[in-house]
Amino acid sequence: MRLLDRGIGAVCAAVRWLVLPLSLLLFLQWPLRDLVQAHSREANDAAQILFALFVAAAITAATRHRSHLAVDAFAQHIAPRWRERIARVTAILVLAPWAALLIFAGAVPAWQSIAELEGFPETMNPGYFLIRAAAVLLALLVLAQAVVDAVAPAEG
Amino acid sequence: MEAAGLWMLAAVAVVMIATGLPAWVALTGVTLAFAAFGVVRGVFDVSILTALNGRVVGLLENDLLQALPLFVLMGVLIHRLPLAETLFRVGARALEPTRRGKPLAALGLGVLFAPMSGSVGASVAMLTRIVQPRLESAGLPAERNVALVCMSATLGVVIPPSLVLILLGDAMMRAHTEASHAASLSARILNTQDVFHGALVPGALLVLASALATLVSTPATSGREASVRVRDVATAALAAGAIAALLGGVALGYLYAVEAAAAGGVALVVYGFATRSLPAAALREIVDECLSITGALFALLVAATFFTLVQRAFGTDRWLAALLAHAGLGPGASLAAYLAMLAACALVLDAFEMIFVVVPLLAPAVLTRVDDAMWVAVLTLLVLQASFLLPPFGYAVLMARGRSRVPVATRGLALALVPYVAAQLCVVAAVLAFPSLLWREAATVAPAASEEEQTRMLEKQLEGGEQK
Repeated sequence: MRLLDRGIGAVCAAVRWLVLPLSLLLFLQWPLRDLVQAHSREANDAAQILFALFVAAAITAATRHRSHLAVDAFAQHIAPRWRERIARVTAILVLAPWAALLIFAGAVPAWQSIAELEGFPETMNPGYFLIRAAAVLLALLVLAQAVVDAVAPAEG
Repeated sequence: MEAAGLWMLAAVAVVMIATGLPAWVALTGVTLAFAAFGVVRGVFDVSILTALNGRVVGLLENDLLQALPLFVLMGVLIHRLPLAETLFRVGARALEPTRRGKPLAALGLGVLFAPMSGSVGASVAMLTRIVQPRLESAGLPAERNVALVCMSATLGVVIPPSLVLILLGDAMMRAHTEASHAASLSARILNTQDVFHGALVPGALLVLASALATLVSTPATSGREASVRVRDVATAALAAGAIAALLGGVALGYLYAVEAAAAGGVALVVYGFATRSLPAAALREIVDECLSITGALFALLVAATFFTLVQRAFGTDRWLAALLAHAGLGPGASLAAYLAMLAACALVLDAFEMIFVVVPLLAPAVLTRVDDAMWVAVLTLLVLQASFLLPPFGYAVLMARGRSRVPVATRGLALALVPYVAAQLCVVAAVLAFPSLLWREAATVAPAASEEEQTRMLEKQLEGGEQK
């Protein structure tokens, strides 16, 4: 389980840097479109791929950092032991089934897209399959984190 | 059974408050439970749920949502870099003759940085760190101090191109598209740029009203701001000018919000490196924080898209529209009912939850009855802004209280917020009474990309309909 936890951490640690090239590409899109008058769509498509991969890992990163928005006004009075139990139960009964549903619905279309190396519909630039794959990655990471949280939750 | 969607909404509020679970987990859990109920009772087929993948991919390829991590990056950078602090010191010094220089400078900082930082949480964090200790040392009572931080942090919500405005613009565009289909309307579909333009005058009014509320309700502060160097004044002037140019460029349609946010992020990173205030270790922490805050917001989007999928499978959206039509309410009464429902939800949900969950449910119905989509969008925006500020669950209030160095009582804070809530009510009343206050030039001159965006959205809506 520790290995799985480290694996998720490693994916998040690698993906976090994508926000810098994402900013740069979207910034460059502006002069590329208005001054160079070329390659702005390529910059946009590349940024779209980076964005998809970034947010695919971001949800799980937020879970690990406990950054998700929550209303704590009443729940702060619940004993920590009970809050931990609630978190474990929701990991098993909510997040794992939801992620499984997303994998069930998305795995086949993503695999077909990867096999065809599907391009972006509007520009025909390659790489759209990575966006479909990102949806499955998002679900896989949520599922893996739910398993980790259910079996060996991090100490709060 | 069509009313199940409303029960889902109530269940989410109860689960969130009672358990303290993250909002996206509460939304997902309630939706899963109702989806299982719907499938078991034969209300809809289980295959409808597989549309979730298409919806998530739709979010991942949404051009507009690219702004989300960029705004978050800007917010985190602003929080870490000394730029905001310099601007506050220069502003407080310049406004000293009013004897409320620091409180007014705090509002000014909110106006400049809150739309850029995108997230109210990031703005609260920045203002609490920079402004609160200085207001405290100037003798401002803790309740007024926290109330001022809350108001300053939420001002950015109504000033284009805040993240809330971008997401609301997108939600209203979808709602207007749906309403147009349902009622066979021929009106031009509202786009994000229209909402930006519509928000300009009410946003300016709200800034003025808040400044007035601060002048009237805040006691004169003691203690002079330490003298500022010429270099600080030059930095502040340059930064304020650049921010105003970026915000103005987007608001007036010369720049796209995503590109402006990217430009701001790149400029701040370059500034950090140039002034040696951004070491590699800090940059690692910044991208880490950016990833987790983006995840918190995106998780809400993903959960909300699942929630609305199941709500529509129950037919709640069509049922609500029919209910409104059969009630025989005129446009005015429909709008009043819509705003009242939004305000009631705002007591327990924050603006992002409202945009992703409540607006898609209620707005299409009211837009079939009220012709002026921009007016409805701006009024929705003003209610959402208020939702951040209403104690005890307003997100800005929760955040500011949580981060305050001094414990603040709910009653005292609620009283300190009264002048600001009154200022908001005045602006809402003005917009309600005088729809002509909204700047509508863009309604006839929309940028080409926005039209493309509309067409794409229209196609997506049609695809969604076919999937059902």
